[in-house]
Amino acid sequence: MPGKHMQNRLLAHSTPLILALILLAFVAGVALTGDRALARMAAETLVRVTLVVGLWIFVGNSGVISFGHAGYMAIGAYCSAWLTLKPQAKALFLPDLPVWLANAEWHVFPAAIASGFLAAFVALISGAAILRLSGIAASIATFAFLAIVYTVYSNWEGVTGATSSVVGLTRYVGPWVALAWAVAAIVAANLYANSASGLALRATREDEVAARASGIDQYRHRLLSLVISGFFTGVAGALFGHSLGVLNPDSFYLGITFIALAMLVVGGIGSLSGAVTGVLVLSLLIEALVRLEQGITIGEAALALPSGAQEILIGIVMILVLILRPAGLTGGAEFRLRARTPRLSFDQEQTTTN
Amino acid sequence: MSRLGVFDVSVRYGKVPALTDVTLHIGEGERIFISGPNGAGKSSLLKAISGAVPTAHGRIELDGDLLTGRPPEAVARLGLSMVPEGREIFGRLTVEENLRVGTGIRRDADAVEGDIAEIYRAFPILAERRHASAGALSGGQQQMLAIGRALMTNPKLMMVDEPSLGLAPKIVDQVYDTLVALQEERGLTLLIVEQSSVRAGRVGGRMILLRGGQVVGEGDAAAFADKDALTEAYFGKTGKEAAE
Repeated sequence: MPGKHMQNRLLAHSTPLILALILLAFVAGVALTGDRALARMAAETLVRVTLVVGLWIFVGNSGVISFGHAGYMAIGAYCSAWLTLKPQAKALFLPDLPVWLANAEWHVFPAAIASGFLAAFVALISGAAILRLSGIAASIATFAFLAIVYTVYSNWEGVTGATSSVVGLTRYVGPWVALAWAVAAIVAANLYANSASGLALRATREDEVAARASGIDQYRHRLLSLVISGFFTGVAGALFGHSLGVLNPDSFYLGITFIALAMLVVGGIGSLSGAVTGVLVLSLLIEALVRLEQGITIGEAALALPSGAQEILIGIVMILVLILRPAGLTGGAEFRLRARTPRLSFDQEQTTTN
Repeated sequence: MSRLGVFDVSVRYGKVPALTDVTLHIGEGERIFISGPNGAGKSSLLKAISGAVPTAHGRIELDGDLLTGRPPEAVARLGLSMVPEGREIFGRLTVEENLRVGTGIRRDADAVEGDIAEIYRAFPILAERRHASAGALSGGQQQMLAIGRALMTNPKLMMVDEPSLGLAPKIVDQVYDTLVALQEERGLTLLIVEQSSVRAGRVGGRMILLRGGQVVGEGDAAAFADKDALTEAYFGKTGKEAAE
């Protein structure tokens, strides 16, 4: 029995391996085509994987929907810009930065880590204020947090450039860099979900009263998960900036909030595999629709969707998924290797809906 | 010193009194049934002890530690464990995860694996379905899981709220057999809310009768199973006298 038990625990950790291999296959496939537009699409998709997996660490385990994560993303993105932009550029566009920051010329990697830590720190402070509230009230408060961050970053002219874009970020984030961070986020998310704190938090998601009666301090575990979640969301923000080369507060407001939550819900909010699946499926769908909007030619016939069709079709797909599979495409299950039959399968362990 | 001491406890929901000056003591290793009609305050008493509702007045102690005023998670840490009414298990967690949830508060982490093995020995069906989601279990199995989960915190006092609710009589027999066996094995102290005094009398133990938020009777459960005191508890003195 103990041997089998040990084996089962090891198999539980097959999920991040499978997810990493799927993403690796995706990037490798794109790299083989040599298509530069595809490579950009792949990089953006993998940055979104880091973002949505970061979001899942909090939302998936706590069951509290957060509208505030685009705020942590903005904090990470601007932090990396402050640390890595050339001092001359900062003197010109961001004249009010404190001297040590204005003169900073960090390497991009430590800057990404620092961006994660700053976002995690802000998550700690904002979470301490927000997370004592119950489910829906906490969600509304996260939205208020987003509005605060957005307003500050769109008006703090000398530090964030306000609504005029910050330009000139090193565009070092290609598919491979983005893949490395996405895998790091997946590994961390899996470790957290299977930790004592992750288990306690998932118990509060199921039943707050029974969880507290089992001695679980809901607030503490929510706060810890938000801090870890904030870290990866902040890193995703930094990667986002360095994949586009341009920052604008509008990039970190309602649009990204909606699309990140949509990906989580479509894939299945109850599992890490769901978070990754949602990003891949919706990103590929968006890419396909964008191309259709631009028009394709089949033989003699030219076919083009009217512009704006993309948003409408994405909306329809989301509604269909929610109607047909309310728990998302993965139904809250993880991709996992099975003990007896070593093949990829949906694990039915967690699929029962209450 | 008694294991659990409840001294003059009152609970109010707004202005409505649910419990008035309830005093009771439970000794180590004892089995106590709390019985009484609907609205007698049985659940309020359990909630007050576990910290789920605040007390308006009075004091509750577990092994000399003051429970009053502490949130449920702190009360659980002091050694009180609860099998809630309606078997509130964590539906989308696996059976084994349900058992592990409560162990985060234990200081003897080394003993956890042994205790899980022991629970599986007591409930073989749970071992069989350890990796299944708890929500997929039958009602009786969920009740076993809820009991197993409560045991995993290694409690000084275990409270069980209406274990027979919504279960077939045969399953209820099994649940009580299990509780009694576990108590004999581990020297558990048990407080059970059981509406059926016949059932309580058959299982045996001390019985405390509540009515209208007050203790109206106390004694051997077997003696209560068919006694006037019970009729009185349910219908009141005036009701009984009027019937005579």
